[in-house]
Amino acid sequence: MSLLLLFSALSPALAAGAIALSPPARGDWRLRLPEIAALIALALAALAALNLSLNGPTTSPLLGLASVGFSVRTDIVSIAMSLTVAFVGWSVLRFSRVALDGEARQPAFMGWMAATIACVLLLVSAGNLLQLVLGWVAVGVTLHRLLLFYPERPRARRAARKKAMSGLIASAALLGAGAILIAGYGTGDIAEINAQARAGTGSGPIWLAALFLAVAAVFKSALLPVHGWLTEVMEAPTPVSALLHAGVVNAGGFLLIRFADVLLANPGVLAVLALIGGFSALVGAAVALTQPAVKTALAWSTSAQMGFMVLQCGLALFPLALLHIVAHSLYKAHAFLASGGAVGEVTATRRPGPVAVPGLAAVARAFGLALALYLAVGLLFGITGKPPQVVALGAILIFGVVYLIAQGLADLAPRALTWRTVAMSVAATLGYFALQEGATLLSAATLPAPPPPDGLIWATITLAVASFCVAAVAQTTFPLWAGHPAAAGMRVHLMNGLYLNALSDRMSGRWTSKTGATQ
Amino acid sequence: MTLHMTWPGPDLELFAAAEEAMRQLPPAFPLEATVAVNPWLGQTGEDRLTAAARMERVGGGALFTPRTEIASRIASGEITKADLAAAAAEHGESPEALAKAAETPRPAPAPVPCLADIAARQTGVDWPELIEERIGLWAAAQFDRGQAFWPAPGQSAWPSWRAFAARDLTPALAGLPGYAARIAESPSHARAAFAEACAALDLAPEAAPGYFHRLLVTLSGWGQMARHLSWTAERDGGRDDTLFEMLTLRLTWEVALLEAGGAVTAEAWAEARARFAAPLVPDAELSRDAALQVAYDLAAERRLVTELAEPAPEPPEGRPALQAAFCIDVRSEVLRRALEAADPGLRTKGFAGFFGLAVKHAGHASDLSEARAPILLNPGVTSATAGEDLGDRIHLRAIRAWGRFKRAAVSAFAFVEAAGPLYVGKLIRDGLGQTGGSAKAPAPVLDLPLADRIASAAQILGAMSLTRDFARLVLICGHGATVTNAPHASALQCGACGGHAGDVNAALLAGLLNEPEVRAGLAETGIAIPEDTWFLAGLHDTVSDQVTLFDDALPASHAEDAARLRKALAKAGTQARTERALSLPRGAEDRLAARGKDWSELRPEWGLAGCRAFVAAPRARTAGRDLGGQVFLHDYDASQDPEAQVLELILSAPVVVASWIALQYHGSSVAPETFGAGNKLLHNVVGGIGVLEGNGGALRAGLPRQSLHDGSQLRHGPSRLQVVVEAPQSALTAVLERQPQVRALFDNGWLSLIAMDGQGRLSRRDPDGGWTALDGAPEAERQAA
Repeated sequence: MSLLLLFSALSPALAAGAIALSPPARGDWRLRLPEIAALIALALAALAALNLSLNGPTTSPLLGLASVGFSVRTDIVSIAMSLTVAFVGWSVLRFSRVALDGEARQPAFMGWMAATIACVLLLVSAGNLLQLVLGWVAVGVTLHRLLLFYPERPRARRAARKKAMSGLIASAALLGAGAILIAGYGTGDIAEINAQARAGTGSGPIWLAALFLAVAAVFKSALLPVHGWLTEVMEAPTPVSALLHAGVVNAGGFLLIRFADVLLANPGVLAVLALIGGFSALVGAAVALTQPAVKTALAWSTSAQMGFMVLQCGLALFPLALLHIVAHSLYKAHAFLASGGAVGEVTATRRPGPVAVPGLAAVARAFGLALALYLAVGLLFGITGKPPQVVALGAILIFGVVYLIAQGLADLAPRALTWRTVAMSVAATLGYFALQEGATLLSAATLPAPPPPDGLIWATITLAVASFCVAAVAQTTFPLWAGHPAAAGMRVHLMNGLYLNALSDRMSGRWTSKTGATQ
Repeated sequence: MTLHMTWPGPDLELFAAAEEAMRQLPPAFPLEATVAVNPWLGQTGEDRLTAAARMERVGGGALFTPRTEIASRIASGEITKADLAAAAAEHGESPEALAKAAETPRPAPAPVPCLADIAARQTGVDWPELIEERIGLWAAAQFDRGQAFWPAPGQSAWPSWRAFAARDLTPALAGLPGYAARIAESPSHARAAFAEACAALDLAPEAAPGYFHRLLVTLSGWGQMARHLSWTAERDGGRDDTLFEMLTLRLTWEVALLEAGGAVTAEAWAEARARFAAPLVPDAELSRDAALQVAYDLAAERRLVTELAEPAPEPPEGRPALQAAFCIDVRSEVLRRALEAADPGLRTKGFAGFFGLAVKHAGHASDLSEARAPILLNPGVTSATAGEDLGDRIHLRAIRAWGRFKRAAVSAFAFVEAAGPLYVGKLIRDGLGQTGGSAKAPAPVLDLPLADRIASAAQILGAMSLTRDFARLVLICGHGATVTNAPHASALQCGACGGHAGDVNAALLAGLLNEPEVRAGLAETGIAIPEDTWFLAGLHDTVSDQVTLFDDALPASHAEDAARLRKALAKAGTQARTERALSLPRGAEDRLAARGKDWSELRPEWGLAGCRAFVAAPRARTAGRDLGGQVFLHDYDASQDPEAQVLELILSAPVVVASWIALQYHGSSVAPETFGAGNKLLHNVVGGIGVLEGNGGALRAGLPRQSLHDGSQLRHGPSRLQVVVEAPQSALTAVLERQPQVRALFDNGWLSLIAMDGQGRLSRRDPDGGWTALDGAPEAERQAA
């Protein structure tokens, strides 16, 4: 029973192998093998979930030498990730079977997609560091093949190269972290490492391991300023983007959650993660607002969402980070696969006439209403007994709800619309609190609770709440200041992603790489 | 201030050269409601060979079918030795040399370089790509219709570019320091900036048109998108300078690169200017391409002549039991043929799918006014859906507010945490193709006084050659395509309805013809519609071949007729689907409707791919022949048109629209880089108006690869559209005299014109205006003649 998740990873791997051994012809039923395998993986993960609910978190017996090798960890983290990846995997594989029909290399594509999903499943179910590292590196290798599905496209080669560089750094950091952890705790078993970290045993520069983990996560999850590759990989077919944004880019966050106790023992690293995450969330979201191309905007939004998730990790809210990963995966997979509908959506938003702009008074009222709503729903869910980190995060999310309420409070908005936006706001707030409560309860046995705040944590909390509050005010009052010349200048710099990519292009000699050779 | 500047003579010449160059560009319409455009719209005044040479010089892509395609068609026997011999004779070649040429691929020659190309060679920096990317990013925001939350400030192109480029640090990072400062100091008025740039480039008026054309081509689809603004403005009697301002901003790059370069750059630039100024001389290889194209065109002509010569059923006489009018769209041909076979008492007609009613239509709960008319017309009539829509508007605005909550900066995080898990349901629903159907919109109402309604009705019925023998039930059938997740969905809709479905126009005409006042008025003009005739509107879904009937107001007296029609439609639908399923990958008769709901289906149907001929004649000339869903069928009865007015209308409107469609498919097939939208798998929808391919900055106008190619071969054979008209040669000649622009299409070989006489005999119009009888007419008839 404890090996169910390993079989779950094996299922798409077998499909990939079957396709590689004898590539199916166009329209052959065997092109369905990968999606069937993903469904089997999903069923096995569901069985493992059942097992978890009956027997609690377990680690399977080790297949390996000393304490290093392969084992399966069954807990809420691996179950939630496996279920998500298998389900998203089914979606993208089903999509690919039809969308890539007629491509000469469709079998290879299906094979590499299945292999990538298998590697991610191997990674997220890892009970041992060796398996985790292998899965981590293997995902990069298989993904590289997918990014180069059209190797004749220079932009595809460039993006793949950038991604490979980023992956190399992330892998090196993870290797470094793994080595220090094994040396410091004397075991490769992840649950054991976390237990020792919680108990405060272990030796060696554990802080360095935590820092390496953070570096690996930042590169893998494409946080600013090392996000460049993520916003350029639209050079592969749409399902690759969907899988990448919903299944692969999460690996960084998963790593942080997996080693929650190790990180918790190093509050300095957590503070740095909160800073980088918060910065990435705010800047990435601002850049996404200025992007007129749908996939580009989605890519920047992923960078922002990953930033927010890392901010949650930085605040030691690991269950919420896990919830964010799962929720974001589902949303983003759908958003990419459905991105062809953007033409119709843009037209649809123009049909019912202009958007009513809320004035300053309406914005103030929206803030008041949102805080009241927060208080009411918060009391319902017993907010007074929660750690300040949770309260702060709730406040940040409520700032987002302000925007929804404000749209209905604009002077020109009809009363019926006001009621609808208020109703949607209440539903969103209830939904958020319920999910948060659920995530916390489900992961109580596995993930640590946030520590009582000290000075550093209070500073982080204050900074995060203040900056998101400013961003929320700016967002809600946006039409009132967007016409200012300074705003126009800001917009140009944001459209260009603050030139972070142009700088890395310059360093990598992007503009000289092609024609220089022809001369 | 600068608006009233006076310009010195050389500047005026350069403005004129810019104007000339801008007219070389075809317009591209936003995907929201796109229509096919002839990519060589700017070159129809010259023959294909000259146009091809021009496009080669400016890097505008190929015009003729690639030699590999020709060679495979020679190998398959589609193009015969006789075709090759005839084409060779026309071009002064030997058939053997031509056949050999088909076996020898000819790589496209490099265009005359602009300064970006020259600088790239000198410095090793890929300036053309950098410029394309910079202009692409700016243009995407400039043309955005609501994708970006934070839109570009609303201003015209040149000031907008100045505001963008004066702040953009990218050129400096890429190796052109000072570009931003140069733009900041440039004149605020586009014409002044243009004149300044031309002076800095030392540009003479002789070289200017070609050079400007070259620069406009480097603007990719963005240039064509800007051209659609000026094209539409000119159609409506106005003017738009967006494209001129974009040419100006493109020139600023050239000036910056010239000044950054040294003496070598200046020398290469002088040479390039000389080449732009030189007269166009097509080389021998290009001329062979043209000859091979002619051979292919002749093969297509031969095929059509043979098809039209097949024995036909006797034309029916008297009042039919049922009538059904369809759009001329080639996709109607399959269903019409099936329908006539399903119920011999049913007769079909072909007419442009807007059914003569060019309207600006405001849909249900919508502020947008959609031009449901051929793009050549600016509709003066409005229509709207009847009834109260406040509740639906609130609903739509609430959806929009939720959509903005989903995408705004801080709220996006709250959205994901509160609603992300709901997407499990959406992924399952869309993955299994369970998208819900759209609700039926209320019937549209025409806003037109009675006298005009009567006049319109009379004119439309005359143009349709439908003035007598009305059946008890007449179906007016528009068409549309139900597809999902498809940026190019509007390219599958009715072109005559401006890229929208044809339901509104069909309902408007049916409603109009059912009005007792209108019928009374029609009777006075001599068109007597029997009292027991009822006009019923319908919509043919070209994905599923199902016809939806708008029968809310159908009188009980016609219930039986409607039942008979439904039966015929159901039977014909099955027949049409069976036929079409053969041509679609993974096609099966019972799976076609599901394709339209499948979000991963990139080939829901073939649209107008394969279109190759246009026939204007009574249906009896084409009935019973299998034309493969590749022929536009327009009903025309020359005997009812002594003044050739209807003929003139047909040649100047539906034929021109059909030629735009055929040439768009041609352009997207032979010049996919310039006039094709690339690979659907890589599409990145931009601004709600177009697509980028992958991560590139170029807007890709035209049709995607998957719309033309089934994965193993081209579905569209890029041969010239054959226009067959049953009318006296003298009438055709007279009409062409009155319509010089239409005549140019035939004189210059863009289309070919075939006259059909009363016995069905065919003659081709030669470029000099003479007529050549075509073989392949029925043997018996030829002997009789």
